Amino acid sequence: MTTVFHPLVKRFLDGELNLADLPPELHAEARAAERLLGAVDRAPVTLPAALDARVMSAVRRRASAPARRWWQRLAEPWEIRVRLRPWILGPALAAAAVLVLILARSQPPVPAVAVAAAPESVYVRFVLYAPGAHRVSVAGTFNQWDATTAPLAPAGAAGVWATTVALPVGQHQYAFLVDGRRWVNDPAAPMVDDGFGRRNSVVAVTAGAAGARAL
Amino acid sequence: MRLLAALGVTVLGVTAVAAQQPLAARLAGRVPAGVVVAVTALADSAAARGLPVDPLVEKAIEGGAKGASPERIVVAVQTVLTRLGRAQVALQAATPGVPPADAVEAGAFALSAGLQDANVQEVARACGPQCSAAEALRVAGTLTALGVPPAEAVELVRQTLRSGGKERDVLALPGRVEAEVAGGATPAQAAAGLARAAAARAAAPGQSGAPPHGRPPPRHP
Amino acid sequence: MLAGDIEQYAELVHRYRDRYARFAARMLGSVDEAEDAVQDAFIRAFEQLRQCRDPDNFAGWFFLILRNRCLAERRRVARAGPGPEAVVVPAAEQADGPLVQEERRRALQQALLELTPEQREVFVLKHVEDLSYEEIAGRLGASIPSLKMRMHRAYDRLRERLKDVL
Repeated sequence: MTTVFHPLVKRFLDGELNLADLPPELHAEARAAERLLGAVDRAPVTLPAALDARVMSAVRRRASAPARRWWQRLAEPWEIRVRLRPWILGPALAAAAVLVLILARSQPPVPAVAVAAAPESVYVRFVLYAPGAHRVSVAGTFNQWDATTAPLAPAGAAGVWATTVALPVGQHQYAFLVDGRRWVNDPAAPMVDDGFGRRNSVVAVTAGAAGARAL
Repeated sequence: MRLLAALGVTVLGVTAVAAQQPLAARLAGRVPAGVVVAVTALADSAAARGLPVDPLVEKAIEGGAKGASPERIVVAVQTVLTRLGRAQVALQAATPGVPPADAVEAGAFALSAGLQDANVQEVARACGPQCSAAEALRVAGTLTALGVPPAEAVELVRQTLRSGGKERDVLALPGRVEAEVAGGATPAQAAAGLARAAAARAAAPGQSGAPPHGRPPPRHP
Repeated sequence: MLAGDIEQYAELVHRYRDRYARFAARMLGSVDEAEDAVQDAFIRAFEQLRQCRDPDNFAGWFFLILRNRCLAERRRVARAGPGPEAVVVPAAEQADGPLVQEERRRALQQALLELTPEQREVFVLKHVEDLSYEEIAGRLGASIPSLKMRMHRAYDRLRERLKDVL
């Protein structure tokens, strides 16, 4: 049988009643309620000072003129967000997607993507903000979780790592591996339980009628 | 038989080269030998039931890459197998016949994201011939992974399809929910609002299936 | 106005950085996750500054962005299943010393993570942040009766979960 508090004890917990307001037979239950409230951790939490710098670094990158913003998002690495997002690019989606493909193909695909791309594939740019990291790679279902095939390289601003990977059309789960030992999720992506006590990030790659885009 | 089963259920995201390798060869060096034996047995069970095998292999490889214990890897692979089985049953209840492997995988993904079997069935049933059940299930799962409660996620996909939405409209749903959340809505509120708008379009005479808020669908050159 | 003034935003970040850190930590169960949530919320708030209808109430508006971030995060984790069970020391075998209190504190934090996000939120706002039901209602836009209903369900679930240590 489930143990529940008497309604009067709940009002006591709410602060509406004092112990003296309760009938004697409820005092033991009220003391249990007091022990519950006494176990609440009210200690102040102070976040690391480095958080300010990380926030402002991302904020300064976003403070470009709105008219250039969509172009910038294509030409420069994203701060800590990853991938093209249709709702940001809006009506310019298709042109932007094609532009990404052109930009990606104009330089050698980065870097040793050991597995040949499937016939239908989309270049997807992965970006992670990991200041202090010495090496970063991305692993997932698209490269058999082999972290050696898709290392990220420092890109532009300090602490930003990026790479472009050809992903077959479909849905993929992935995570970043930092310094060969710490698995990190993409903070901007949907996540699902990986079955190992962590989570995987999820990306869906689709091919359009005359172009390709990543969600 | 096992190799034929693996070839027959090639999974999106797995290269053609990898898919042709025997299972044990794919796992060798990636997981302990005991895990190879256990996963091989689970894969045999999956193949016998007409379930895709590659998700099991991928999960085992993932566990090896993440340094999970052998026991944990096997449990994770068993969980994937269970979800594939549940997805298959749900899809068969929605549409008679053998469900395609990608739909079964997508259903398993949706279950892993938090949908229930009935939700998978409902999404598949809402899909009909005009859309890919696999895509609809992936979107429903992604919405749930974004924080939308399962019922609201299913309702949003259902209403989008019902209002004449095309596959691209369904695929755009996670991004649109994220946009609403960025504006201060909870994921549930975002999904409910979009679902209501889709339902209103479905109820309006001469509706065209265009996305709400006046935003034109993306144009491809 | 706030938009476009980077250094003024830096001041806001510095001023409000820790204000809701405790709320995020209790909602998410760890300071590390709270740090990620607060960082993401500040960046998202900057992107949405034009939608801040009352610049003089940045704190309240920022709280809602952070709250949404916390609610979405916990829903994802909740579906992954609860974490390892907290160690529970039977009440009959313990004195009420500091070790027992620490164990009770950890057990309660774990039990909080097993509540629904909505139940946990009202519990944290009232019993960690010491807000009244009226203040919580004003902040969340919810009715007091609905908040009390969530809270009372939370009390029952916590009592059931912690019955061996209370």
